[in-house]
Amino acid sequence: MGRLRGRRWRILLPFAAMAIVAAAIAASSLAAHSASVIRLAIMSDCKGAFGGAYELDIGGAEAALAQYAHGKPVSSKKPSAGMTGITIAGHPVKIVGYGCGNDTVPVAISETKRLMEQLKADIMIGPLSGDEAVTIAHYAQKHPTKTFIIGTAGSQDPTLQIAPKNMFRYHGDGAQWNAGTGILAYKKLGWRKAAIIMDDYSFGWTSAAGLIADFCGAGGKIVKRVFPPLNTTDYAPYVQQLPAPSKVDGYFWVVGGTGTGPSLKAYESAYGKVDPKKFVGNLFFFFQSGFADVAPRLIGAYYGGFGNAPGLKTAGAKQYEATMKKWFGPAGFNVTDSFVYNYFNAAHALVIGLTKSGGALGASLNASLPRSIKAGYQVSNGGQVKLDSNRQAIADQYPQQIVKGPDGKPAAKIVGYVPGVDQSFGGFFKKTSPPPGRSQPPCVKHKFPWAGHIKAVQNGVITKKTIG
Amino acid sequence: MTEAAAHAESAEPILRLRGVGRRFGGLHAVSDVDLDVIPGERRAILGPNGAGKTTLFNVVAGDLPVTSGRIELFGRDVTREPARQRAKLGLARSYQQSRLFLGLSVEDNIFLAIVGVGRGHLRPVVLPRKDAELRARAREAARRAAIDGRLGDVVGALAHGEHRQVALAMALAAEPKLLMLDEPASGLSRGERQLLTELLLALDADITLILIEHDMDIALRVAERVTMMHEGRVIVEGTPAEIRANQLVHDLYLGSHYGSEPEGGASG
Amino acid sequence: MSPFAWHPRPMSEKNLVELVIGVTLLLFLAVFPVFGVGYWVSFVLTQTFLIGIAAASLVFLTAYGGMVSLAQTALYGISAFALGNMVTKGAVKGLHLGLDPWLAVVLAIAITTAIGLVFGAVASRSAGIYFLMITLTYAVIAFTFFGQVTQVSGFSGIAGIADRTPALVGDPVTQPNRLYYIALVTALVVYFAIRHVVRTPFGISLQGVRDDPVRMGSLGYNVALHRTLAFTFAAFIASLAGVLYGWWNGVIAPDNVGLGATVDLLIVAVIGGLGRVEGAWLGAFAFVVINNYVRDVSVPVLGGSFNTVIGLIFLAIVIVSPSGLMGLWDRLWDAAGYREGSGPRAAAAAGTAGPQA
Ligand SMILES: Nc1ncnc2c1ncn2[C@@H]1O[C@H](COP(=O)(O)OP(=O)(O)OP(=O)(O)O)[C@@H](O)[C@H]1O
Ligand SMILES: [Mg+2]
Repeated sequence: MGRLRGRRWRILLPFAAMAIVAAAIAASSLAAHSASVIRLAIMSDCKGAFGGAYELDIGGAEAALAQYAHGKPVSSKKPSAGMTGITIAGHPVKIVGYGCGNDTVPVAISETKRLMEQLKADIMIGPLSGDEAVTIAHYAQKHPTKTFIIGTAGSQDPTLQIAPKNMFRYHGDGAQWNAGTGILAYKKLGWRKAAIIMDDYSFGWTSAAGLIADFCGAGGKIVKRVFPPLNTTDYAPYVQQLPAPSKVDGYFWVVGGTGTGPSLKAYESAYGKVDPKKFVGNLFFFFQSGFADVAPRLIGAYYGGFGNAPGLKTAGAKQYEATMKKWFGPAGFNVTDSFVYNYFNAAHALVIGLTKSGGALGASLNASLPRSIKAGYQVSNGGQVKLDSNRQAIADQYPQQIVKGPDGKPAAKIVGYVPGVDQSFGGFFKKTSPPPGRSQPPCVKHKFPWAGHIKAVQNGVITKKTIG
Repeated sequence: MTEAAAHAESAEPILRLRGVGRRFGGLHAVSDVDLDVIPGERRAILGPNGAGKTTLFNVVAGDLPVTSGRIELFGRDVTREPARQRAKLGLARSYQQSRLFLGLSVEDNIFLAIVGVGRGHLRPVVLPRKDAELRARAREAARRAAIDGRLGDVVGALAHGEHRQVALAMALAAEPKLLMLDEPASGLSRGERQLLTELLLALDADITLILIEHDMDIALRVAERVTMMHEGRVIVEGTPAEIRANQLVHDLYLGSHYGSEPEGGASG
Repeated sequence: MSPFAWHPRPMSEKNLVELVIGVTLLLFLAVFPVFGVGYWVSFVLTQTFLIGIAAASLVFLTAYGGMVSLAQTALYGISAFALGNMVTKGAVKGLHLGLDPWLAVVLAIAITTAIGLVFGAVASRSAGIYFLMITLTYAVIAFTFFGQVTQVSGFSGIAGIADRTPALVGDPVTQPNRLYYIALVTALVVYFAIRHVVRTPFGISLQGVRDDPVRMGSLGYNVALHRTLAFTFAAFIASLAGVLYGWWNGVIAPDNVGLGATVDLLIVAVIGGLGRVEGAWLGAFAFVVINNYVRDVSVPVLGGSFNTVIGLIFLAIVIVSPSGLMGLWDRLWDAAGYREGSGPRAAAAAGTAGPQA
């Protein structure tokens, strides 16, 4: 008898397990949420190439929520610890979750689903990188009642090609970030013939597109394009494909991620020491605090910016930096970092939009999100970043140079001011034209709106001197 | 049936080896072996440990390639053919250490031996009629090897002696023309050895049997001819009586080595 | 006498209990969308079904063929990429051929199966660590290929697959229940197909190849051919998961076949249990739920990274039960029987619990 009862108990095992799972499902579904609460998600990368920017991004967004929407950071050192008390137009705003991407498409999509569907966010600020933004743009298209404000992403497609009506970007794309830098190579460095080496993926192509368009627009010629795969370890075969330094005036070096250092070393073993005047790069030449194995070789080299302008001495910049310092100063963030800046502007725009819509979401919020917004490093257009008809920023750019800092270490210095760069480069990039790729855009002479209007920046002050 | 009785001394051998050798690095495990086995013959291969008997089986069955020489099976040169082709021609073998499919049932093991020499290896559907017939044959082979009591059990859970029985059942089930058994009696109890001997003696006359066996009792009772190997070479060949009488054999094998074999039953 | 009388053993009490659980679970899943929460239907369970299918292809190869393949993720990705290239149209990446959705499905499955045949043929002569390395190479090739060959994808992948589903499938965003049922039915078909195949001459001889390939050769089998065809069959199963994934996710990108994704599928199979096909779906369920819900747990010493937490959970599962959750169930069952005094029987059952379903 006891034996029989024992057997029965054993039979109950799996059913008990199933009951527990069912109960958990029921509990998770019953998690009540009040209708008047606005549900916000912040999506960033906590892993992968940009994982280090996780707290910076969240901190940037939360600083705006603290400054303009009564948010109180739970921890002044760790933004992802959360924020309480956010209120906009009388509506409480709840940060329902932080997305953790890893710079890949599959994770971006599953994180987005988790945030928007499981945690039922109404609005997302994010994501952080280019390919992620492409995916989320497609997602946004299929979820028109939700609103997406890109955190930081350099791809063109989300706003130029896909351009869902519920997606906004208050900063430039990878091509915009390099506007003016190609002209500098032509005018300031006197290059006429150049070769380009670029990471063989969408950000590499987009970033290169800005340099190529700009340089060729001024009259330069790209004589060779080389495409190493992303994060290649041995760059020798690719560097071999480049013309020798005696054959060209210089190289555009669009190799990022973990490849910048190894690719330059491969160059050095093929052709000797790097001459900084023969090298122009993109933002990866001095990424965040600078790569130790890259920056010292490149003292004096120019490179495209990241939309931010560290060291710019304008009232707007000072005010922005003070705001950031106030909320997340103790965390020791580099508040001039572009990740911080872009997320800050995204959240700031959201506060303005929700205030205007009176807390209404969906189409009403999309209509209310500002078409121009005051931003710290924006000077032209009265200090307002303007959105184009695809809800994409028209923003000032700042080409930079690697210099020896006061402590003898390499530092970034802004050298130029390129006013009002739009995504289409004045109609050069179109929805119908082939997207940036290995052979796109072609190298053609073209006058861009900023040509002839690039001003020198000296000690953080924009001068009257035209440099390109 | 009469085939065995009919064939004369001059009959075409079913197995012919010429100058067969197998080296492992510098070790000549088998060297320069000539061997003729005629259809229906019962042949025992004897020799001390390390004589190269198992290696000879391996090269004949095709589990190992030869390093020299030539192998003809059923009148056909199979030296370069893989084991599976030789199996298809009608060669079945057992292994000194039973090599069974431990994750499968006894019946499935025997089933595999039957399917292996037939068609339909790749059939991915159950055909109830066909499968039932194949399984009936498997069960019959199991009965002959006296392992039919454990048909449904996973082989991995069986005892050592039972493994030998399964191996035997598999060899029988394939209905081979040439059956090669490598020490089938090792690890068997006295009673089981008795059963084995009876089974071997009752084997269809048209099945050719080559037997490696340390148990002289079994070997000499079953065999019509005996090949004696030593250090990879054939040193003597003859009838059981001739072998018993051979002094060299005694020195090498029956006297010294075999006597010390713990499993040794009644020697000579 | 029934033609199935050859079944090795009569149905045991455990088989019976498993049958009852299976049927109960199925009924539950069949009605779930009526009561269930949208997210559970569209995200957790649909994903569980389709990841489970991919994992089942791995469990099949491992449990019955002794082949631990790291290429299953690549194969299921190839299927989704093939579907994406053929079905999408307009301004998306890839070839955007705009073929009929059903035709594209058939071609995607056919292409993947054919690639599986080639992959399998090349790998079939290797075993153990060498087989693992060759299949890892396939995974790396697939990732690099789709990343670098921008004509067929590029790193941002192919989007818009969900816009071009067959009418039967509908729009997975607005009609998630359809894809839920399609994935459920496909999973069931795959499950029963595997259960059937392993009882056929092909399946039994595959298990023979697993246990002793040399012996199989001497029994007359072409071991390499068996391995090749098993691999092809597994590729076919993986291709079904790929099609479902394409519909479900709408996007397929090289990172779907990257090293991380490859390891994820291995984890799914291992936590489910490599010995039994059911484990594939159990593992997929555990994986999806843990990945999704174990987020905000912060472990003081480890700095609260949920990746670490998830890693630890998987580690714990594997340590507690090396044969995964299915193995845990087998052991719990036996242990429960032991305590109540039916020890010898339970022990015998444990001894004979082979991978044969
Ligand atoms: N695969 C192998 N690699 C290297 N050496 C081997 C191999 N197989 C057998 N040998 C060696 O070849 C010689 C002959 O071995 P074999 O197994 O053929 O002897 P045997 O006559 O069957 O002996 P036993 O009576 O002990 O079974 C031995 O010295 C053995 O160590
Ligand atoms: Mg031997």
